[in-house]
Amino acid sequence: MSVRALDLVRDPEIAREISAHLVSLERLGEARGRRATGLPALDALLGGGWPRAALSEISGRRSSGRTAIVRAALAAAIAAGETTALIDVGGTLDARAATGVAAAAAGPALLWIRCVAAQALKAVDLVVAAGGFGVVALDLCDARLRLPDAAWVRLRHAARAQGTTVLVATSARRLGAFAAAAVELGGAPAFDTDGPPLFTGLDVRVSRVRAISPQQRHEDQSPCASLAFTSRS
Amino acid sequence: MRLACVYVPQLALQAALRRSPEAREAPSALVAAQGKSKPRVVELCAAARGAGVRPGMTAAQAAAACPGLRLFTATAADAEAGAAALADVGYAFAPRVERDGERIYFAADDLGRLYPDGERTIAQAVQAHAARLGFGARVAIAPGKGSARVATRAHELAVVPAERAAARAFLAPLPISFFTDDGELSAAFRRWGTRTAGAVAALPPSAVALRLGPAGAAVARLSRAEDDEPFLPQLPPDALEEAVELDYPIYEIEPLAFVLRGLCDRALERLAGRSLACAGLTLRLSLDPRGLDVREVPLAAPTREAKTMVELVRLDLARRPPEAAVRGVHLIALPARVRATQLDILRPAGPAPNRLAATLARLGALVGPENVGTPAAVDSWREEAIAMQAYPLGGGAPGTAPGGEPGLCLRHRRPPEEIEVLMERDGPAALRGAETTARVLIAAGPYRLSGEWWRGDPGDPAGTGSWAREYWDVHASDGAVYRLHRDGRSGRFYLDGYYD
Repeated sequence: MSVRALDLVRDPEIAREISAHLVSLERLGEARGRRATGLPALDALLGGGWPRAALSEISGRRSSGRTAIVRAALAAAIAAGETTALIDVGGTLDARAATGVAAAAAGPALLWIRCVAAQALKAVDLVVAAGGFGVVALDLCDARLRLPDAAWVRLRHAARAQGTTVLVATSARRLGAFAAAAVELGGAPAFDTDGPPLFTGLDVRVSRVRAISPQQRHEDQSPCASLAFTSRS
Repeated sequence: MRLACVYVPQLALQAALRRSPEAREAPSALVAAQGKSKPRVVELCAAARGAGVRPGMTAAQAAAACPGLRLFTATAADAEAGAAALADVGYAFAPRVERDGERIYFAADDLGRLYPDGERTIAQAVQAHAARLGFGARVAIAPGKGSARVATRAHELAVVPAERAAARAFLAPLPISFFTDDGELSAAFRRWGTRTAGAVAALPPSAVALRLGPAGAAVARLSRAEDDEPFLPQLPPDALEEAVELDYPIYEIEPLAFVLRGLCDRALERLAGRSLACAGLTLRLSLDPRGLDVREVPLAAPTREAKTMVELVRLDLARRPPEAAVRGVHLIALPARVRATQLDILRPAGPAPNRLAATLARLGALVGPENVGTPAAVDSWREEAIAMQAYPLGGGAPGTAPGGEPGLCLRHRRPPEEIEVLMERDGPAALRGAETTARVLIAAGPYRLSGEWWRGDPGDPAGTGSWAREYWDVHASDGAVYRLHRDGRSGRFYLDGYYD
């Protein structure tokens, strides 16, 4: 819709709503195939965001920021009107974080599935196969589970067929070549030690270990980014 | 008014055959015991009749007359489920249906919009739907109940004209025995030499009424196509029921699941005919030798998948097995309409409601319905408190972008894990739990919190009573930042989770 066509809309509120969703053709080309991570530095590192219709992996040890990155991706997708799901092994979801995500979700809410590790893959298969989900996050951070390659092949095929971004959070890399994009996280906690120690947040260093395309791999010589997650309490 | 009549001859036998559809092609008969006498044949199919089986024979006599005969025992459960399923044939086409034994009646005036090719097409569609529910049915569409009933006796498929003269001509060649169930009345007409409706219609009405009374007069009126029987339709029942009484008690879950699959299939077929899905299940198990086990099986969302329903019931049975062997199963399905949602022109389309509902139900079967939903806030200051609420199937208002910088997340252990903590003067110095043993590098705290003192009785950390805690954020030597607390009353330490 051109600007002249937009002028024909008499109701300024509707015009504002439409213009908020208009993007230039150039931006559209760049964004095609990507989905915003909710973190500008990570978007830049990944060339626009998480790949659509593919698997992506976020790996790192405890307190490296995996959960915060997953939550940011879910919140960004919900804010964009997407339907999202979280397969939460162990039911670790933070109530305050969940409330924050829910606040962004006046419309389609977060589908939250609590399960044990053995049920996680079946659950994510069911959700992705349902179709229509923008982002599906599989939280395997604390799961001690060995999954066969065939499971990832099947999940990748389903994600491709349904156009879903599947984020897999793990403690160590598991997806290998099945992930279209993979990042490894290294975090260091930040304490304010001027007086009695006060935990202020996590400083996270993100390393891109698997590029979305070979071209991007060659263009970017330093595939790292820094993120900071602060404690609001 | 145009009325459709669906007639299922030998409904009790056909109802029994619904649970054994493979026996439909074979000769079959229904036996029932009268008091303490031996069970005798009460209904039989045409193939069995052709082989020499007759009503009143004992089961042994019938089996001797027809070696391949399938014998079914008449049960109240089959009869009730069969009658309800027959009514559902009508509810698939009309909002109200009159039930009358082996027949149902419903208004067919408005069906012309759906089937513009004529009333014969409507009758064929009704017959096809009855076949899907396991009934071999006769269908007629007529201006009134009486003429529709007579037409189903005479024809497999019939359309009685709307004009009275044409309807009278349609009925005229039919035997007068089709017009009444009273054998003496039929015999009286035959003695007069009036064997067809046309002949009876030619008699003076007053003379017939004088000699045969009101019943004879009603037959004479019907033979003249003067159909004045009132149509008394009813709304469908709130719940849909299917039942089976087993020949022998079942002790294990797997054979019971096999029986349940048949019940669910039949219930869903009936619901599908009314464009409905199943929103909840109630199961009544008759135990051996006596007793009843009633259980409600919640569904995360309305579904039309029998596999999902059976899986949920199987999980429920595995969690809480019946106290004795099961000799009868009664399934009550709660119908619900799966509504279409209005999509947003500016937002991506979400999952299709029907598929989402089925997926939620299957997820519920996999992980338990209480573990599928959307997070909900709890009115509590306990950090680990969180609730699950049902996932909304319909779309809502568009979302808004979350503001502010990305926050830190705490990965909770629910319930908090009791750990050992070595305390020094400045705070925790080391911790040891099931998954973690580490030195504490930095400890921030304590942050004292208490709440729910108005509840009175002090409870454990995972309970609902009053609580008082000292929280610590500790950077451990394994690199993680843990959140732990000491219970103010017991002095024990608990690991709440770690920041990530």
